[in-house]
Amino acid sequence: MKLLLIEDDPETAGHIVHALAGHGHAVESVDNGTDGLARARCGDHAALIVDRMLPGMDGLSLVRQLRAEGHQTPVLFLTTMSGLDDRVEGLEGGADDYLVKPFAFAELLARVNAITRRADGAEPTRLRLADLEIDLIRRTATRDGKAIELQPQEFRLLEFLLRNAGRVVTRTMLLENVWDLHFDPRTNIVETHLSRLRSKVDRGFGTELIHTLRGVGYVLRAD
Amino acid sequence: MSFARIRLWKTEGFRLSAIYAGAFALSVLAMGTVVLLITEQTLRDQVIQYSRADLAAMKDGYRTEGEDEVREVIQQRMALPDASDYFLMQRDKTAMAGNLPAMAQRTGVVSLPGLQPGHDILGVGAFVGPGLYAFSGSDTFRVHASEHRIIVALLWLFIAGIAIAVLGGALVSRSFLRRTDAMARACHAIMDGDMKARIPVRGSGDELDRLADAINTMLDRIAGLMENLRQVSNDIAHDLRTPVSQLRQGLERAKDGPGSGYAQALETAIERTDGILALFAAMLRIAEIEGGKRRAAFANLDLAALLHHMRELFAPVAEAADHSLAVDITQDAEIRGDRALLIQLLSNLIENAILHTPSGTHIVLSLTQIDGRPALTVADDGPGVPAEEHAKLFQRLYRREASRTHPGHGLGLSTAQAIADLHGARIDVVPGAPGFGVRVLFPARKSPD
Repeated sequence: MKLLLIEDDPETAGHIVHALAGHGHAVESVDNGTDGLARARCGDHAALIVDRMLPGMDGLSLVRQLRAEGHQTPVLFLTTMSGLDDRVEGLEGGADDYLVKPFAFAELLARVNAITRRADGAEPTRLRLADLEIDLIRRTATRDGKAIELQPQEFRLLEFLLRNAGRVVTRTMLLENVWDLHFDPRTNIVETHLSRLRSKVDRGFGTELIHTLRGVGYVLRAD
Repeated sequence: MSFARIRLWKTEGFRLSAIYAGAFALSVLAMGTVVLLITEQTLRDQVIQYSRADLAAMKDGYRTEGEDEVREVIQQRMALPDASDYFLMQRDKTAMAGNLPAMAQRTGVVSLPGLQPGHDILGVGAFVGPGLYAFSGSDTFRVHASEHRIIVALLWLFIAGIAIAVLGGALVSRSFLRRTDAMARACHAIMDGDMKARIPVRGSGDELDRLADAINTMLDRIAGLMENLRQVSNDIAHDLRTPVSQLRQGLERAKDGPGSGYAQALETAIERTDGILALFAAMLRIAEIEGGKRRAAFANLDLAALLHHMRELFAPVAEAADHSLAVDITQDAEIRGDRALLIQLLSNLIENAILHTPSGTHIVLSLTQIDGRPALTVADDGPGVPAEEHAKLFQRLYRREASRTHPGHGLGLSTAQAIADLHGARIDVVPGAPGFGVRVLFPARKSPD
């Protein structure tokens, strides 16, 4: 993917560019908001990674401006501010996701992958992977034609995994998106819920769909 | 520290007094004029009345005993000690009695030029008998003397009034000035770094006291926030020293040691760094919540639904730890609040209950009403916490000896406290309960708007 990074700290920028390049992404890097906006307007990037605090034009204004002009390129905000307000402001300003510095690189990669998927068209009513299928309207799930009983939160968890099928989702992404938890819990909420979901979705069926990537997160895939 | 002393006459108090003095002077002037006019009229009426009475006596005398009796009456009147009265009896053009020369025989109220300048004569003329003209009058200097006395009195009143106004104004301004100076001094003291300085309050409850109270309350709030910030920085500095030192030692060892432990050392270093960052985040979160800005994002929240959500979220974790998690709702309630933060508050309490009690413990999330106030309780039937430790539990970074082996950094309850405060709620350990329970008592919901 071709990505645009707008980040003024050369060390952070260098680190991100290097790491993303290692995963096969072509990263263009700009160190101020004004140039960043000009480059982003070209619209040939799969996603923008924008630091919140920038010389020239701050990240929030930049995204607002882009959105006002009708550009739909997905945006991931990077920031050292950890406040809930900043997160809400960023998302309301048009960003697709928000990541607090410092972050694990796997987290950045997972989120960039997740937001680039969101750009695609109409909202589906069903999600499917191999023989697993969920109905978003009736809130039901089946595997191999057999109904799977899911509690509301389990359904949301499975829905999130299916929407990101084939992509890595991190623990933090699950906490934020499935349970609205914006802090680090001390108990293993994610692991426990995943293991229960796995016992309902995978146990007794041929192939495992939910895979654990140690130290990174989870991925739902058929192979 | 010095700031220009405001001149007395530049103060608001003095300006008000000056306006007051001006109004007072005008009113004295208006009142004086009215009093003067009324007095003059009254005195003149009096003179005329006496004169009429004299003439009536003369008329009576003439009717009963003739001209001589009239002369007799005049003699009597003139013999009175007060010599300011003037009389005349005149037939044709000849004065026959009295102390006035013959004059034109005008009847009714007559004003005559006096014998000396400034001494007019006011009186009444009438025919007391056929062809017999009489006049009775008084020198008006008495009227003028009264008027003069009144004018002098008013003048003194005027001077005294102005003096009192000026003096009072100066006194008021001085006391006002003294108090505003005290305010300014307190502000300067604070600017110079004495955050404990406060504006003196007299306790009279007047407008300056109310202003001083409002400013002091604001200063208390600011001081509280600053103290918080200072404490957070101290805590961070204090609490980070150990993990940062450990991190450094580990890295140093890895640098010198043999290659095999290298990856493991890096793993540990990253873990420790994450721990440090988590502590940072938790402390910054508390500071943010205590800042109060999030109140703007409050929405209506169904507490019962929130409890069910929490149960569904934590039941698998509780079960995995061999705990039970139940919800008990006696009365549903809706409040204004921040959902994400209340989820964090409840998560902290529930995680405490799961992590700090032995297996087999029952945890109950309950929602009741206490005096019309919604009360959320997270209680367990575990071994409990000694009462003398309850107050310490909410202190930042306080960790019970027994819980030091569990994950966490001693900020869970401080965070919960900050979130409760933000919602105007009280958070307490439930007293006397078996096991351990924490209750969040929300404020009574105001009538729907």
